[in-house]
Amino acid sequence: MDFMYYPQPLSDLIIAFSRLPGIGPKTASRLAFYLLRHSEEAQQLSDAIATALRDIKQCTVCGNYTDTDPCKICTGERRDKSLLCVVEQPRDVVVLEKTGEYRGLYHVLQGVLSPMEGIGPDQLNLSSLFNRLEGVKEVVLAVNPSVEGEATALYLAKLLKPMGVKVTRLAHGLPVGGDLEYADEVTIARALEGRREL
Amino acid sequence: MAVYKADAIVIRSREYGESDRLVTLFSREHGKLEAIAKGVRKPKSTQRGGTQLFTYADFLLYKGKSLDIVTQAQPKESFSHLWEDFDRTIAASGMAELLDISTTREQPEPELFTLTLSFFFMLKHLDPYIAQAAYALKLMDFEGYLPVMDSCFQCAKDLEGEYAFLSTEAGGFLCSVCKNNQIVKPFSPGSMAFIRQLGKVDFKKLDRLRWNKKMREEILEGLGFFCEEKFERKLQAWRQGRELWKD
Repeated sequence: MDFMYYPQPLSDLIIAFSRLPGIGPKTASRLAFYLLRHSEEAQQLSDAIATALRDIKQCTVCGNYTDTDPCKICTGERRDKSLLCVVEQPRDVVVLEKTGEYRGLYHVLQGVLSPMEGIGPDQLNLSSLFNRLEGVKEVVLAVNPSVEGEATALYLAKLLKPMGVKVTRLAHGLPVGGDLEYADEVTIARALEGRREL
Repeated sequence: MAVYKADAIVIRSREYGESDRLVTLFSREHGKLEAIAKGVRKPKSTQRGGTQLFTYADFLLYKGKSLDIVTQAQPKESFSHLWEDFDRTIAASGMAELLDISTTREQPEPELFTLTLSFFFMLKHLDPYIAQAAYALKLMDFEGYLPVMDSCFQCAKDLEGEYAFLSTEAGGFLCSVCKNNQIVKPFSPGSMAFIRQLGKVDFKKLDRLRWNKKMREEILEGLGFFCEEKFERKLQAWRQGRELWKD
């Protein structure tokens, strides 16, 4: 509670930093004092936050963060519009784009079903998914291979399959550079299921 | 005891920081524990398998100042059937959540550990929601909250063949006269007969029990309401389950 001894604007800044994920009170104080000493960087940070808050919005088609609505991926001429990849977070779009292997469209759920945390279908970006299936031949479910991710994939597959669309799931298996000894039985079982002839 | 072992089930797992998970473990020796599993969201983490939700594993933990730290997690059973079936995931979530809200940290309850482990195994073959209801009744029995089911808790009238009303205020079922203005959940005669049977049946015979949609909704809604009131916490997974059955 050291920040109570500081002038009001400074303690407000420390409190604002300490509300961010992964930042405790000590780090928050350190960041606040750093910015006071480096006013140019502080101004740049302030401008970047203001610009991002003003210009970044969620794409009304896919739910990804964008500065143009619809986003550049949704309107991309060279994108395969028959392929739709469902991901949990906007960060996952970047991960898949970096591979250079996928040229279809995306749909960002902004989370996964998590019954214990009270996250159900209504809390996810789901309704717009069912409204954009015209012309889509395959939906790739690229949610994380966790219990919540699997539950979300099963739930989506149950709803999507009767709509006549092919539903696929990213393959499960051993990570590149991983060690068989440390893999769990679910991973090994799925890696065996998905084995390929060389 | 800077480093200690725990034979435990992961009953809650939340993302924490950049690549960590905050896990709630229910162990045979120490009861409920909370710990940080560092770096387990990275693909190459050697503890990733052992810290997944519902996994039964041998843990080695380091006693931290506020939270303990998982240093090893060797999975013994991953319960793949709980991952591969949506209804089983929902039912197991309901069981884990009930265990979480009904227990206090570092209070050993080995019977509850064995009960939970047995039900996670049994979920492979049983109707998941019958298993969830049976687990809730057994847990309430352990904690001393099992409602009296044969007769009205206030006037002792036999409830067989009649509508009954579960009341947390009374701590059991009431007849239509005694319920008055209390907040209650109604149970039809069929649901009453089923829940009585569920409370008495040998676990090995649980697979012989059958119920219909109405009975399932009444029983799970009633038990969820009763547990929420008794343990004074919301049961999110039970509520989500009820929403998802409607689909």
